[in-house]
Amino acid sequence: MSNKDIYLEALEIGKKAGADHVEVFFNRKKSLEVVIEKNDLQVPKGDRYQGIGVRVLKDGKMGFASSNILTRESIEATVQSAIDIAVNSPEDPAQGIPEPSPLEEIDGIYDPQGENVSLADLITKGSDFMDASRGIDSRVTVDTASFKAEIIERAIANSRGIRAEERKTKFENSAIGFAREGEDISSFVVEYTVTPEWKELNTEEMGVRLREKALGNLGAERIPGFKGSVVLSPFAAVNLLLFPIVFAINADNVQNGISPWREKMGGKVASDIFSISDDGTLPGEIGSRMFDREGIAPKPLQVINEGKLISWLHNYYTASKAGEVPTGHASGGDQSLPAIGPNNFIVSPGKDSLENMLKNIDRGLLVTRYSGGSDPVSGDFSGVVKGGYFIEKGKERKPVKEVMIAGNIYRLLHQVIGLSSETQRILNFRTPYIALDGVSITGR
Amino acid sequence: MIKTLKEIVHSQNEHLEIRDHKRFSTVIQFKNGVLKKGERKTLAGAGIRALVDGCWGFVATSETDEENLRRSAGEAIKAAREASQLKKEKIKGLGTGEVGQGTFNLYQKKADEPEFGEKVNALQKAEAKIRDAGNDIIGSMVNYHVFQDSKVIVSSSGAEAEINDQKSEIAIVAFGASGEKQEMGMVSHGITGGWSDLFSRNHLDEMVEKAVEIVRTKLKAGYAPGGNYTVILDPQLVGVLAHEAIGHTVEADFVLSGSVVADKIGEKVASDLITLVDDGTQEGAGKVLVDDEGTVNKPTVIIENGVLKNYLHSRETAHMFSTEARGNARAFTYRDEPLIRMTNTFIQPGKDRLEDMIKGIEDGFLLVGMDQGGQADATGEFMFGVQEGYRIKNGEIKEPVKGINISGQAFEVLKSADALSQEFNMDLGSGYCGKKQPAKADAGGPYLRCKVMIGGQQGKGEQNE
Repeated sequence: MSNKDIYLEALEIGKKAGADHVEVFFNRKKSLEVVIEKNDLQVPKGDRYQGIGVRVLKDGKMGFASSNILTRESIEATVQSAIDIAVNSPEDPAQGIPEPSPLEEIDGIYDPQGENVSLADLITKGSDFMDASRGIDSRVTVDTASFKAEIIERAIANSRGIRAEERKTKFENSAIGFAREGEDISSFVVEYTVTPEWKELNTEEMGVRLREKALGNLGAERIPGFKGSVVLSPFAAVNLLLFPIVFAINADNVQNGISPWREKMGGKVASDIFSISDDGTLPGEIGSRMFDREGIAPKPLQVINEGKLISWLHNYYTASKAGEVPTGHASGGDQSLPAIGPNNFIVSPGKDSLENMLKNIDRGLLVTRYSGGSDPVSGDFSGVVKGGYFIEKGKERKPVKEVMIAGNIYRLLHQVIGLSSETQRILNFRTPYIALDGVSITGR
Repeated sequence: MIKTLKEIVHSQNEHLEIRDHKRFSTVIQFKNGVLKKGERKTLAGAGIRALVDGCWGFVATSETDEENLRRSAGEAIKAAREASQLKKEKIKGLGTGEVGQGTFNLYQKKADEPEFGEKVNALQKAEAKIRDAGNDIIGSMVNYHVFQDSKVIVSSSGAEAEINDQKSEIAIVAFGASGEKQEMGMVSHGITGGWSDLFSRNHLDEMVEKAVEIVRTKLKAGYAPGGNYTVILDPQLVGVLAHEAIGHTVEADFVLSGSVVADKIGEKVASDLITLVDDGTQEGAGKVLVDDEGTVNKPTVIIENGVLKNYLHSRETAHMFSTEARGNARAFTYRDEPLIRMTNTFIQPGKDRLEDMIKGIEDGFLLVGMDQGGQADATGEFMFGVQEGYRIKNGEIKEPVKGINISGQAFEVLKSADALSQEFNMDLGSGYCGKKQPAKADAGGPYLRCKVMIGGQQGKGEQNE
């Protein structure tokens, strides 16, 4: 059966089985992955997957079921499961599925070359990476590295008339490594690249960066605690700052009363230099897509403008509840109900280069990786700095270990004092280095 | 199914493992009075792994008719052959270990498993009860998840096993507010078995009360001052330490990449009081009778009276270390290849009484339950969030404190252990262990007195404008 046959059949079965409304999300994925562990090639993997997620509405009640067995029999059973769940669930008048709206194709998210990528190609990418990291310096250990190629087909059809299909490619490489010199072991350091274009993938450069990070972390010393500036790398910034922001602007969390910003719409949530946009229509970006998990086109949004909170991220449910227009941020795949997530979440860069930013720091810490908790509800965080560098008078930089940072994210956003001109793409986030003032740093 | 798989496996000269795995799962989630998730999912397919010229190849497919299985087996063999041309350290053989043959049931099917609608009702009531607790409770969530696995594993090593498993878990969250402050309290539990097993230790209502109590305590609590302290870790935190900070460093794949315990077998790595075991045959969320390479699980003593005894193995690493595999190679779904994983990991209880342990602390903390966030490195260095903390002064429990993170080097912490309680509990909550793929794991131990670094929010008072 073709993709279309499958999801249209599921739609028909749903309508016939007595559902008031039916939505079918279809996913087909072909992925290839080559993994390196302990400095050596491990299991090459191939995976062919296809599955459907069926959402039904009956008498104002909703049910969901999914299956990756796509025989007619199994599709029928899946639709019936969704209806059974709906019948046994409490009524929720805000439940619904959207009507069709204009959709526009997005350039640069599907690379036809992806179809020809083989495991052998990925093995070559992996060996380039190894040559550039451990190949040059055997103190470096590549703990785990993954080189992955994916072709994703998404489709959606619902009983209100939405019909859409899209193809995407995704090439994603990640690596974790450390350096060891006698008894001296560095922190785990991380490298990451994701792109929809095969030719953008430069695993040799990744290998160089991983090597430099790991070696630079050798000979780390303990330092006494102080209060000062902290510069977060894009990797640390996503983990520490951006995940909580995404939590705070998720309309579902706002409506559930757990977003710390639920009363802050239009108000100041960050310092004047801090702006964030979300745009799922950008050509060539990894989070771009013609339609979201419910078939709605992503709407470009200014989320935070010069420190002021401008918009929430909505799916159809939260938008209906708030009496607003859905923003095209329904996230997820065929195996679960639509949630809410960012498309391309972009922190506006600054004018200074990272180097200039660091020069202006009197006493502070460069954090390349943050490991620890950040509670998105209260904003409190406290965790260990990995691959940290102590900076004094803008010049002296020494690797440090066993240093912890703590504070409150939502308060710290008012203390953003610098943004680098360089940005980096991590998952579907793009962010510069972010400098924060007045962070409490615990040493020992 | 088993007949077809045997035919395919035995028709190949190469080493082949086929795992047919069907999973049916149900998710029910209530948030603030609304059913956010009522989901039933089927995830089924076969994972095929081949070992050719010293290299693995793995192919997963959701189509499991004989023709497709044969084709996928061929692809796995081809992938392995291609990769072997570049692999430096070839796999020289697979270790021995008892192979699973026959049927393995990890749980008793019970007639009292409620229907979907009944579960929805019970969880809806529980969730409403959180919000009814008072005006200070501003949000609530109940999340329930159960999955049933039926697997058939056939390998060239001789495994011919049919496995039936069921894991259930629940998490209850209360969000509270007081003025500008917001906090979260969570109670969770996971087991091997069904609905009645899930609530056999604590009734659903008791879990709700506990979650509300935790959030209220946190709202009243101040921050702990950072520094080095003598603390008592509760069984859950001991479990987190045993699993996260110690357990991962003894997984043979981590050992081979130079973890802190490489070459330390036979050495003293912890206080004499510490005996640490991984045992899939125990009741717990990490129960495993036969692993995903088809090996029968047997208990592994990792540390005995402070001395490092064994690592955890797959068949591949067992061969490298000239030992036998004991059932620690696990895969989460058919799409995952087996990796070395823990099962139920715990520190054996001691002889002390908790109250005496508290009396012995002049200035320290009693720390209870894990909070979000936690991480450990191959160096044994760790950082975990703690849900509840109580100051101990002159042998008495004093005021609660919040926002605590503990950190240190796990083996140093275990060397500092000077008292272990008789009381024992295994309950890692409802979480999953993450190592490229999730795995249900459990962990626990007694109350343990030791020294750790507390990363409190130093100078928090000044930092608040």
